[in-house]
Amino acid sequence: MVPLSYYLVLSAVLFACGVAGFLMKRNIITIFMCIELMLNGVNLAFVAFAAHWHRLSGQVFVFFVMVVAAAEAAVGLAIIISVFRTRETLNVDRVNLLKL
Amino acid sequence: MPTSFFTGTDYALSLPMILLSLFGLGVLIIDLMLPAEWKRWNAITALIGLGFSTAAVMRIQLGHFADGRPLVGSFAYLSNVGGQVVGSVLMDGFSIYFFYLFLLGAAIAILMSAHYLEIEHEHHGEFYALILFSVVGMMCMASGYDLVLLFIGLELMAISTYVLVGFLRRDKRSNEAALKYLLLGAFSSGIFAYGLSLLYGLSGSTNLQVIAQALQRHYSANPKDPIAIVAMITTATGLLFKVAAVPFHQWAPDAYEGAPTSVTGYMSVAVKSAAWAMLLRIFLWGLYPLRPVYLPLLVFVSVATMTVGNFAALSQNNLKRLLAYSSISHVGYMLLGLIASDNITNKTGIQGILVYLLVYTFMNLGAFAVVTSLRRRDIIGDEIDDIAGLYSKAPTEAVLMLLFLLSLAGIPPLAGFYGKYFIFLSLIQTQHYVLASLAVLYAVLGLYYYMRIGSAMFMRPATDPEPVAISPGMQVALAVTAIGTVGIGILPEFFIRAAGWSLGIQQAGTSLLGFLR
Amino acid sequence: MSTLNAYILTIVTFIPLGGAVLLALFPRRDRDLRVFALVVSLLAFVLSLHLPVHFARHHAGFQFEQDIQWITTPNIHYHLAIDGISMWLVLLTTFLTPLCVLISWKSVHDRVKEFFILMLLLETALIGVFVSLDLFLFYFFWEASLIPMALLIGVYGHERRVYAAVKFFLFTMIASVFMLAAILWLYAHVGSFQFADTQQWLRGHGTEIQGAAPWLFLGFFVAFAVKVPLFPLHTWLPDAHVEAPTAGSVLLAGVLLKMGTYGLLRFNVGLFPDEARHNASWIATLAIIGIIYGALVAMVQPNLKKLVAYSSVSHLGFVVLGIFSMTQAGQVGAVFVMLAHGVSTGALFMLVGIIHERRHTFEIAEFGGLATPMPIYATFFLIITLSSIGLPLLNGFVGEFLVLSGAFLAHPLWGILAATGVIWSACYMLWMYQRVFFGKVNHDVNLALPDLSLRERIALWPLAVAAFAMGVAPLIWINAVDPTVRNVLSIAAQFASQVVAR
Repeated sequence: MVPLSYYLVLSAVLFACGVAGFLMKRNIITIFMCIELMLNGVNLAFVAFAAHWHRLSGQVFVFFVMVVAAAEAAVGLAIIISVFRTRETLNVDRVNLLKL
Repeated sequence: MPTSFFTGTDYALSLPMILLSLFGLGVLIIDLMLPAEWKRWNAITALIGLGFSTAAVMRIQLGHFADGRPLVGSFAYLSNVGGQVVGSVLMDGFSIYFFYLFLLGAAIAILMSAHYLEIEHEHHGEFYALILFSVVGMMCMASGYDLVLLFIGLELMAISTYVLVGFLRRDKRSNEAALKYLLLGAFSSGIFAYGLSLLYGLSGSTNLQVIAQALQRHYSANPKDPIAIVAMITTATGLLFKVAAVPFHQWAPDAYEGAPTSVTGYMSVAVKSAAWAMLLRIFLWGLYPLRPVYLPLLVFVSVATMTVGNFAALSQNNLKRLLAYSSISHVGYMLLGLIASDNITNKTGIQGILVYLLVYTFMNLGAFAVVTSLRRRDIIGDEIDDIAGLYSKAPTEAVLMLLFLLSLAGIPPLAGFYGKYFIFLSLIQTQHYVLASLAVLYAVLGLYYYMRIGSAMFMRPATDPEPVAISPGMQVALAVTAIGTVGIGILPEFFIRAAGWSLGIQQAGTSLLGFLR
Repeated sequence: MSTLNAYILTIVTFIPLGGAVLLALFPRRDRDLRVFALVVSLLAFVLSLHLPVHFARHHAGFQFEQDIQWITTPNIHYHLAIDGISMWLVLLTTFLTPLCVLISWKSVHDRVKEFFILMLLLETALIGVFVSLDLFLFYFFWEASLIPMALLIGVYGHERRVYAAVKFFLFTMIASVFMLAAILWLYAHVGSFQFADTQQWLRGHGTEIQGAAPWLFLGFFVAFAVKVPLFPLHTWLPDAHVEAPTAGSVLLAGVLLKMGTYGLLRFNVGLFPDEARHNASWIATLAIIGIIYGALVAMVQPNLKKLVAYSSVSHLGFVVLGIFSMTQAGQVGAVFVMLAHGVSTGALFMLVGIIHERRHTFEIAEFGGLATPMPIYATFFLIITLSSIGLPLLNGFVGEFLVLSGAFLAHPLWGILAATGVIWSACYMLWMYQRVFFGKVNHDVNLALPDLSLRERIALWPLAVAAFAMGVAPLIWINAVDPTVRNVLSIAAQFASQVVAR
């Protein structure tokens, strides 16, 4: 039996990797994948907690997170394609018409 | 254990959302059959859908809710935790108030959009369907009492809005805005979800009430429980992202500037109200036991928000960007209301936030309606130079814009004053004198940039001779927002009462937080 | 009659607003618009005459009360009433507005409709300020008066109008926010916005709020002092006056500034008599500085309108001095100076506006010897100049005399210093008159200037008559003011007996 804390540490590491990648990577697709990584960290935490509490609601949440991630990916990729069409680049630093 | 599966009450409670979803799908299908010149019927269908949904909300309010007691809906499962029945939907005055707010915002946004989209050559049915779907998401956010439903609602709204922001797919600015909004939005959702997972881990349940009870236990056992604090901070970060509070505001000006103007208006009121509904629900219901912990955080965020919002707005030359920063600063004022009152000992601040959101819906949509109507063939019309001399071209619009701006600045005979009034009052009641004086000073600063627009409209000559044509839909939108802005200003009683009613002040209602007293 | 008594204030307040709404629906035929605006403002004036006729003069309290709950939470009332002080200010407003309509008959060509709408809106807001007895309602009207005035300056003004309008707006707005904070503090503690309730509460809790009272007093004071304007917060006034259209200047000097002094008397002295006494010395010092400074700056002004504007700073200094002398004579005098200044400075701005219409300049150097081509104009100007200086038998004398005697009672030095102000004002006004009207006509254009038209004479006659009447029979005005002021002061005296002498 692997203790709960192992899962939680792994999930925190996954999540932190996602956050770090989001902040440091410059390619839009990579950034997008980092977000997926964060959500996977969340999923892992939910599943671990669901097992810990012997309740299903955590696992149900995981399904919803996956659905949401898929929907987000679909919309996100569509937007990325249209950005690529108008600018021919996938570097976030070059998408800078609106000043930050 | 599940006691029932989608009862009659559930049906009634979900009817507004079901109707909207059906109409949204209907619009998508009808759109395929309509020839190009008939696309307006999409807008009309969507408006009819909003009307039906409003009727369903009224049915809840007058029928199921007539005795003023909050209704708990199961939406698939209803569990019995410690002798209390908890479900995933909480239909109280708070939810109903926000339902009306969302429907109103969506209706006005649709009225603004029809003509604008024609000019942009992007008049598709999907636009209206997405607006309806996003309203469904907002309703889930306002009435959700379960993390699952809250999260689904949030994402449904957010994803619909990402597409709406990028709706002008041939326009570089719109694309870019959508991309930035999407990346930062998804990022914040991720952080939010991580917080939710920790909350679930602390309590073993996704229900807000159970979470509150568990947090109460944790907090009394160990006020510095690191997991509880991390859970609170990550959840709060996600929520503050959504309302565009500093330091999580960077997406807002870009998304607002690049989005189609009518969508910007919609985002600044309905989407923001939904985020606020969820924020209040989580902070005041779920995370309430951690109030001593999150209060300093909120103080910092609200002061930073007012500071950045107001100072950044000073130097903007783009109308949409200026209004974006001003809307950030308004978030700062509203956060003060949350700081001042906890909805138990003092309700003034929360009532103030609700009133603020209502009047903000009218005045900000009105301002964006005027900016939208500046868009003509070959003129983008969202710079301050484009609004110069508006008075000589379209006096009615200029006067209305002035009304909206003065209302945003909080000048008394207009609606915007009451929002600020309640916030200030709650701060004084709870003896937050420093914050109150800071807010007052920033309110004055706000005047300056609103007056910049005002003086450009009235006291500068027009830069282009192109006349401003106003479509019938826009006329209705302007009329509604103007009547709202002036009407609430002069006869606020009904609306203040409505906000009070939604918090159970005006009528005796059972507080679900009774166990915490 | 009793039914009318209950509603007369509402009617007088909102007739101009109704007129403005109707005006908005009118077709754009300028002549009809002007006539209609004149009729509406005259109607308001005639109805407001009901007030002095039926006013119980020996009675110190509020009269013609109307009190309706407006909003339940927060507890806001629609509470209108007047006493001896506010009645005359209401009358001054309704008296000046028709004259303003007349004086802008020709001088406003563009956007005539909007001009008169703004003017009528302004009238409603001004009357509202003087009649409301609910602090919230008062603030509501107070702010409402700001917008039409700023637009009148900003849209219809002269070259630097935008700058002046924005400056005016920001100055007064920033200051009034402090008042809002004070009002909200009071509401949070009193639970009511009613003037009487607040006064009652403050009287009962004098010792408890000793820490907060100075701040509350200052909150109100700053808002009113900017409006008055008291030195050194006066810098917006000359700009606003110079850039404003004539009618705007008349209402600004005639009525808007009185909102400040009225507020000082009603709220600062009425609610915080104790604090008023404590702070009287430095406020009076500022007022005296204002009197002398205003007069000296007026003396060196090459610009006619700016000269009149600075003379306002000087005269309003007398009002503030009278109020904070905390004596019966001083305060009655202050109210009288408010009214007299409204009439005479209003008339001065009209006269200056008339010459600007003909010559499009305010520079004194451009004129000279105007008495030859324009004798009637010169006569009117002389009368008003003398009344402004404070010649006995004209309106300026009575008020200034009372203020000075009050100041002497309070502090002999104040009286002496302020009295020099009277001398200064004689200097700059007469010197200005001499430069403009006497001597040879050295600019040929001035020779061909037409004298006053019938319309202009109709606009000026009532003011000249009022200036005489107020000088000859001041008791008509004073005997209504007197009991009210005595009432204010007696409350103050009760306060003083409660606290240790400073």
